[in-house]
Amino acid sequence: MAIEESFLKSVFYGAIPEEMIFPYPEPGRDARESTQLMLESVREFARREIDPAAIDREGAISSAVMQGLKELGLFGATISTEYGGAGLDATSYARLIQEISGIDASVAVTLGAHLALGAKSIAMFGSEAQRKRYLPKLARGEWVAAFALTEPGAGSDAANIQTRAVRQANGLYHLDGHKIWITNGGFADVFTVFARTTALDARTKPKLTSFLIDREMGVRSGPNEPKLGIRGSSTTSVYFDGLEVPGDSVLGEPGKGFKVAMEVLNFGRLGLAAGCVGMARKLIELSVDRVQERRAFGRPIGEFGLVKDKVARMMAETWALESMVYLTTGLVDAKVPDWSLESAICKIFGSEMLWRLVNDALQIAAGIGYMGAYPYERMLRDSRINLIFEGTNEILRAFVALSGMQGPGRQLAEVSRAVREPIKGFGLLSDFAMQRARSAFGRERIHRAHGLLRREVVLFEEHVALFSKNVDKVLRKHGKDIAEMQYTQRRVADIASDLYALAACISRSTRAIERKGEEGARRELELTSAFANMVEKRLQANVAAFDGNDDELLKGLAGQAYLDGGYTFDVL
Amino acid sequence: MKILVPLKRTADPDNANKIKIAAGGAKIVTDGLEPKINPFDEYAVEAALRLTENAKTRVAGDKVTIVSFGPKEAATNIRTALAMGADDGLLFHADDEALDGDLVARALAKVVETQKPDLVILGKQAVDGDSNQVGQILAELLQWPSATFAMSIELAKDKKSVIVGREVDGGVVKLKLELPAVITVDLRIVAPKSVVNNVTPATHVYSDGARYAPLPMIIKAKTKPIAEAPIASLGLDATLKSKYHTFELPPARKAGKKVKDVAELVGLLKSEAKVL
Repeated sequence: MAIEESFLKSVFYGAIPEEMIFPYPEPGRDARESTQLMLESVREFARREIDPAAIDREGAISSAVMQGLKELGLFGATISTEYGGAGLDATSYARLIQEISGIDASVAVTLGAHLALGAKSIAMFGSEAQRKRYLPKLARGEWVAAFALTEPGAGSDAANIQTRAVRQANGLYHLDGHKIWITNGGFADVFTVFARTTALDARTKPKLTSFLIDREMGVRSGPNEPKLGIRGSSTTSVYFDGLEVPGDSVLGEPGKGFKVAMEVLNFGRLGLAAGCVGMARKLIELSVDRVQERRAFGRPIGEFGLVKDKVARMMAETWALESMVYLTTGLVDAKVPDWSLESAICKIFGSEMLWRLVNDALQIAAGIGYMGAYPYERMLRDSRINLIFEGTNEILRAFVALSGMQGPGRQLAEVSRAVREPIKGFGLLSDFAMQRARSAFGRERIHRAHGLLRREVVLFEEHVALFSKNVDKVLRKHGKDIAEMQYTQRRVADIASDLYALAACISRSTRAIERKGEEGARRELELTSAFANMVEKRLQANVAAFDGNDDELLKGLAGQAYLDGGYTFDVL
Repeated sequence: MKILVPLKRTADPDNANKIKIAAGGAKIVTDGLEPKINPFDEYAVEAALRLTENAKTRVAGDKVTIVSFGPKEAATNIRTALAMGADDGLLFHADDEALDGDLVARALAKVVETQKPDLVILGKQAVDGDSNQVGQILAELLQWPSATFAMSIELAKDKKSVIVGREVDGGVVKLKLELPAVITVDLRIVAPKSVVNNVTPATHVYSDGARYAPLPMIIKAKTKPIAEAPIASLGLDATLKSKYHTFELPPARKAGKKVKDVAELVGLLKSEAKVL
């Protein structure tokens, strides 16, 4: 039963709206065929034109490659056909960006910023006039889009944005400010810019407004920033030096810029997670080749247990990530209203999994993994950004935990009000009582999973029940202070993440059995089973840590280090 | 002008090393190989598209029709050609093993009767059977002029004839064919300047190779028509003239040998390889 309009938010209540995740979403024949054709075009183009080592070395995507990407229609991939794009749905787009990420992360990031952030913000929030003005140009790649949110003093903390837009008597906005680390910043033609339209003093509640600012209005870019990875993508500062921009540059409603940023970033994160699938696949391919070819002590190193262990984990985790990314894009395409938590979790899980995976792949490759002539070190550098951009994983964990607990928290407040005002609160209480009654009787069940997945299903059901009890408990214990309890938030977010991944694997494996029979789906079942084993240990540890942990000890250690100004111990 | 391009679905030739032979050598097993358009047929599609467009946009009234004989799944390969830019497709369902070059040529002759193309452009051969027969037999059945292994095609301004370049030992032979005609193409037909239609500006340079379908065309191709019918609907005698007897894989290559120095190499080339 769904309590919220989101699968995961319902799980925070202990509910399992299985109709949202069963059957596992699959593209129809038409969509599958056209997506495959697109992938073929992209692969063929990449085979002939894209040299990731050159892109990394030169710190830029050559204009010939950019031109080719545009001619392929990639810059219009998600833009509606009405405006000359290919109108891809979330699933096809994710699959496409997955493929491109496996080829070259710089190209993927460049396209992602253009499509999933810049163009998406216009498609979602633009007026008809704005859509007509920008989208056809963006679809052809004649113009490139960028998304300008981050500032020196406002990264994850978007409410602290200092760029200001002041509406003047003549109807124009006066825009003043400075953004940093803007992808496509060096050459983008239109920027989705977030500026404060309220006074800068501390007493005024900040309100953001988003604007569409053309480069030709006077936008100035800084030089390309040297950076660890994705070196072929353009990352620059962007300056708005007292620009006078027309009143119709406002994107969406004035004062609703924060909502624009959050909703667009949901898409962006899902794309990043799909990109992680693509890089993971590529790394597994490299590793599997390597371990069969490289011999030590008279046999291929792939025969050694510790190598197998790494490859097996890569397989199981990639399977889980892929399952959750495409479950989520399925939710998006099925027009489920809220998948913000799911998308954030895909980004956290994907970026951290990829970081482990690239580390393991490099370790398997050993010496050559460290050398510049091989792709491992570049892929290691390229993958690192995923843990940072479009919301650091720390902030996203807080977002997942707090946003997920909001519903149950509100209910708790309503219960206490209901107790004070019994008659008025009666209706509310009955809902809540029902909820409590369900957990009193035991756990909510999954009915649509295949019987062969019994163990995984029980693990999931039991931990959903336990999870909602723990959510309830920490809310009662900490009340509003939960907003400050980052250790607890992390536990909540990590459990939510593992539960979502497990649910995705169960749903996808069930689909595989239905399609191919028990024997045909044996490998899918093994992957799910291996992943469930990994998850089980993490879940148990996280659950236990609600009651017994050393959070305070660790906080103390950190606090003391701040006071000491570093590590002051020495053996001398 | 109307061009008909026959297209065969073949197992991915880039992975030909994965091909297996069924027990007894009766047939080739291509399980697990991705089916693709026969590369030479893809070049034929590219040549046909270059002949009928002004750099990018289709010349009004011109048309490229794709035809294939094969399993139902071949519709996907026709769709690929439609996404490259062809206008429509015909698929005649047939089991690959119930076809030979002769039957395909006879079937094509029937299709030509109804489609009335000005030009049939085929790949010189399919990379699976390597028979290299269909274009030649088709020209004979139609009594049309033909040129094989084309490396260049120039369409006359009046669209009544083509000049076809054929690479031969020591140079290029150019043949003038009055339309309608049959042309089979070789790899070089997709070089940047191989196809001239006297509409596309001479300054336009095509990229080397068959084009890849851009995304909007892939979406558009979904709505382009593919007419499907059983091959029996063409009313042909289905008897095959050629039968494959047995297949065998080429012998596995022996492991190489590492030599210490040039002297040893020369010695081995004399004593073992006997090439010196």
